[in-house]
Amino acid sequence: MLAAINFPPIGEVLNWRSIAFGSGAFELNKVGLITLTAALITLVVFAIAGRQGRLVPRGVQNLVEIGVDFITNSIVRESMGPQGLVWVPWLTGLFFFILISNLFEVIPFIQMPATARIGVTAPLALMVYVVFIGVGIRSQGLGKYLKSSLVPSGVPVAILPLLIPLELLSTFIVRPFALAIRLFGNLLAGHLLLIAFAVLTEALFVKSILLVADPLPFAMLVVLTGYEIFVSFLQAFIFTTLAAVYIGEAMAGEH
Amino acid sequence: MLFAASQSVNPILPATGEVIWSVISFVVLMILFIRFVFPPVRKAMVDRSEKIRLDIEAAELARNEAESALAQYKAQLEEARREATRLLEEARATANGLREELVAQAERDAAAIVARAEDSLRGERDRVIAELRGLVGDLAVDLAERILEVEIDRLTVDPLIDRFVAEIASEEA
Repeated sequence: MLAAINFPPIGEVLNWRSIAFGSGAFELNKVGLITLTAALITLVVFAIAGRQGRLVPRGVQNLVEIGVDFITNSIVRESMGPQGLVWVPWLTGLFFFILISNLFEVIPFIQMPATARIGVTAPLALMVYVVFIGVGIRSQGLGKYLKSSLVPSGVPVAILPLLIPLELLSTFIVRPFALAIRLFGNLLAGHLLLIAFAVLTEALFVKSILLVADPLPFAMLVVLTGYEIFVSFLQAFIFTTLAAVYIGEAMAGEH
Repeated sequence: MLFAASQSVNPILPATGEVIWSVISFVVLMILFIRFVFPPVRKAMVDRSEKIRLDIEAAELARNEAESALAQYKAQLEEARREATRLLEEARATANGLREELVAQAERDAAAIVARAEDSLRGERDRVIAELRGLVGDLAVDLAERILEVEIDRLTVDPLIDRFVAEIASEEA
């Protein structure tokens, strides 16, 4: 009977039809709309908080300030030190953009994290990549930056021929991929899990004999929804922290 | 049909439209966010920290001032107490001196009065004795002349009278 469950093909739950601008390069679909909305929500929430500017923060302002405090103290100060404080606005924007894009996974009737698409996470990772290399070259100069990132200090010269390619691979090739795929993979997996349990719950509800078993996938769906909210925060935090670590490393020239 | 697998066939490959719109979203977000939206939030937070720092400093200052004022008041109170004690001691000493002086003066006055009274008493007695001597002499001579029917020379009996009066006076004393 379970074979009768109609699990949608993966393409069907990820590829959305065009909403505007036809089907060319600028095709705007649900994912594009979600990223635009995430940007808009971030701007509006911060604009409200900034406009309130109360001495004793309440509501939106309080929430925003908790977020900024968290990014300032738990991400920037921890991984970049005090000289990284100039990056707080950039990292705050990045964090909230990813967080809100993630949270659309559990928003009723939308239920699609924009970050479950590599088309969203790859450009973000690429921008972090360009930024940290740019910061490294700007603050240390090209030669010194390459040396500091490729040649670990205090390592015997004999091992360097082995280490330099490895460092090149890990710093300049693996990093952007890892950033993009970590976020994308986690959110895609969460999205598919939620779909799987939602489909199962729905299928059992329809099949009257198996209705008694329905609370199990439904409970799982509820638990997973909570878990995905946690994952949304966690992955936004991880992405932002890694961006901060990479930029901080490029600024300081330490390995 | 909501689902349309018309873009990328492989779900892992990026769709061009999604890349473009996410880049547009992020870039526009970052420009507006960093330039216009974030600074007021940061300013509110920095202003608050600054205000809290100033308030703490002001409170610290006020506390120090209060403490020094309290110390000053305590010192003044102590000084006033010492002054009061000193004044009291002084008053007591003055009063004692005055009393002793008054007592001495009173004693002197009393002694003078007594002495004057004694003097006056003595004068009176002498006057009475002299008067008495004359009177007793005259009376005795007169009586004796009448009894004896002879004239008595006054000058011869005067010493007798004097001795008699002196005896009486000494007996009385």
